[in-house]
Amino acid sequence: MEAGSIPEQVQDKVEQVDSADLVVGVIAELDQEGLAAVCDALRVLPGSPRVVVLRDDRAAKPDQNNVAAAEPSASSCHLVPWPLLGSAAAGTSAVGTSSAYQSIFAASEKFGARACCVIASSVESATPGWIRELAQPLVERDFDLVVPNYARRKFEGLLNSSIISPLMHCLYGKRIHNPMGPDLGLSRRLFQKMLGSERGAGVGLNSVHSLATVAPAALCENLQVCEVHLPARIYPPTDWMNISSLLAQILSPIFQDMERNAACWQRMRTSVSVPVIGEPVLVSQDTGTVDISRMMESFQLGIRDLQEIWGLVLPPSTLFELRKLARLPSEQFRMPDDLWVRIVYDFALAHRLRTINRDHLLKSMTPLYLAWVSSYAHDLETAGGTALEERLERLSVAYEAGKTYLVSRWRWPDRFNP
Amino acid sequence: MWSQVKQQLAESTARFLTRFASMVPGLAALVVALLISIVAGCILAAIVRPLLSSMHFDERLARWGFPSVAEWSPKQSPTLLVSRTIAVLVILTGFLIGIAAIDADWTSQLARSIVAYVPNLLGAALVLLIGSVVARFLARSVLIGAVNLNLHYARLLSLGVKWMVVVLTVAMALEHLRIAPGIVKLAFGILFGGIVVTLALAVGLGSKDLVTKSLERDAQKASGDNLEEPFRHI
Repeated sequence: MEAGSIPEQVQDKVEQVDSADLVVGVIAELDQEGLAAVCDALRVLPGSPRVVVLRDDRAAKPDQNNVAAAEPSASSCHLVPWPLLGSAAAGTSAVGTSSAYQSIFAASEKFGARACCVIASSVESATPGWIRELAQPLVERDFDLVVPNYARRKFEGLLNSSIISPLMHCLYGKRIHNPMGPDLGLSRRLFQKMLGSERGAGVGLNSVHSLATVAPAALCENLQVCEVHLPARIYPPTDWMNISSLLAQILSPIFQDMERNAACWQRMRTSVSVPVIGEPVLVSQDTGTVDISRMMESFQLGIRDLQEIWGLVLPPSTLFELRKLARLPSEQFRMPDDLWVRIVYDFALAHRLRTINRDHLLKSMTPLYLAWVSSYAHDLETAGGTALEERLERLSVAYEAGKTYLVSRWRWPDRFNP
Repeated sequence: MWSQVKQQLAESTARFLTRFASMVPGLAALVVALLISIVAGCILAAIVRPLLSSMHFDERLARWGFPSVAEWSPKQSPTLLVSRTIAVLVILTGFLIGIAAIDADWTSQLARSIVAYVPNLLGAALVLLIGSVVARFLARSVLIGAVNLNLHYARLLSLGVKWMVVVLTVAMALEHLRIAPGIVKLAFGILFGGIVVTLALAVGLGSKDLVTKSLERDAQKASGDNLEEPFRHI
C-alpha cells in the first residue's frame, strides 16, 4: 500500500506520530480495552521503544478514533487507525489476510520502524503479555523473524502439522513449527524485503501471499530466525463446506514459493533447530475417540470418482497403494507417512508443471489430505502430548527422507517417473 | 433415309469418340495426379509422424488440456490422427487438381462453393473446440466440488454438466454449418431438456439423505447436543 492511498482522516492522525521503533498491526478482533492492554504490555519492553499499534480503521468506531487522537503525544504507545483490510481484498480470506500484512509492512516503512509485529489470532491467555514476548527478540536481540511456537493440541492446526511445517522444515533446513504464523515479528530488513518483493509481484489475486513468503524469504537470505513459546492458539471451527477452497488458498502460495525458491531449497541438505525463547506452555490433550467417518467417506468418494484426475498427478505406484488403502476397513486404516509425503511432493510438482488447472489440482487433494488426517487421528486418538511430538517428528523425518524423490522429479519431471 | 441415319450415327459416334478422346488425357492426368498425391501424402505422413512422436505430441496435447482428442483418434494416438489428416488433405488436393484437368469450369464452381463454406467450417470447428474445453473444465469443477461435498452422485452430476455443454455446442456448430437447422433446434430442445430433467430428478432424489442429515445436524445444534468436532485444520 502506498502512502498516497491512505485516507485523509487517517493521514491526519498519522501525522501526529512522526516515527516509531516498533509497529504492531492488530488484525485479530480486539476491543478498545484489549488494544489498551496491548499498549500496556508493549510499554514495558526493554529500552522503552516508541510503539505504534495499528488497528483496522473500518472496525474502529468514530468515538474510538477520538480516543486515539486524544492520546497524549508523550506516551510511548500510540493507537493509530489504519486501513488493514482493503475493500479490494474482501473477496477471499487469504487475499484479505495478505493485503492486511502488506498494509502493516507499508505502515512500518512509513513510520521508519526498526521492527513490526502482526497480531492475527487469539490465544488462550488472559493477558496480552504474549505479544510482548513476540516483540522482545526483535527489539532486544536483533532477530529478523520471530515465529510463534504455540502450545499445540493434537487435532488442531492440522494443515500446518501435515504439510506446511514439515515441508518448509525439509525444504529450507530450519525446524520452525508455525512458519505461517499467523502472529509474526519482522525486522526492518525483512519487512522491507517483503514490501519489495510484493511491489515486484504486483497486486491482486496473483500477487504473492505475504504469509507464505515471509519464512522462506528469511531462511533463503540466511536471516536470524527464532521461535517464541506461546500459549495455545484458538482456531476457528472447521468449515467443512469450504475446506477444499481453504486448502487451495493456503497451498497455492506455498507451492508458488517453492517454484520461486527452487535454487535455494535444492541446496539445503540437512535441517537444524532455530533458537527457542521462553518456556513451553503445557495444554491438556483430549484422549477420547474421535469420529472420522466423514473424512473416510470423502477419501472413499475420491478413490471412486477422482482417480482420473489423480492419475494425471500421481505415479501408478502411488495410485495402486491408494486403491489398496481404500479397501481396508476403517479401524485398520493407516496412511504411511512416506506415501503421504510423495503425494504432497507430486502435487507440488504438478502445480509447478500446470498439469491441470491449479485450482482443480489443489481442491482434488482434499480427500487425500482428509485420509491422512483420519490415519493421524487413528494413531493419536488416545495418545498424550509426548506421543504427539513423536508422531510429528516421524512425519518430519519422512519429509526429509523423501526430499531426494522431490529433487529428482523436480529436475527431471519426464524422465524420473517411478 | 437410311443414309441419313447412317450419317447421324457416324457423326454421333465421331462426336462421342472425339469427346472421349479429348477426356482421356484429362482422365490420365486425374489418375497421375491421384497417384502422385497418394505418394506425396504418404511421404508427408511418414515425415510428420516420427516428428510429432519425437516431440511427445500425444502427451503434450493431453497436458495442454485436450486429452479427449486421443479418444477420437485412431489407436488413441493424436499423432496418427494428424499425420493421416495431412495425408488425406494432400490426396484431396491431388484429386481436385485431377478433376480440373477434365473440366475446369466444374472444378472452379466446386472450388468456389467450398471456399464460400470454409468460414462456416472454421466457425463450427472453433465453437466445437471452445465447447469441448469449457465442457471439460466445468465437468471437472463440478466433479471435484461434489466429491468434496461428499455427494455420492458427483460423477453423474459432472457427466450431466458435461453433456449439457456438449449438446449445446454441437447444436451451435450444426446451426453454423446450416445442416438441417429445424431438426437441430428440435433435437437440441429435446436433448437439453431431457438432460436437465434427468439431472433434476437424480439430484433431487439423491439429495434426500443430504437434506435430512443437514436438518438433523441443525436440529441437534439447536437442541444443544454436543456435536463439536476436535479437528481444526487451518
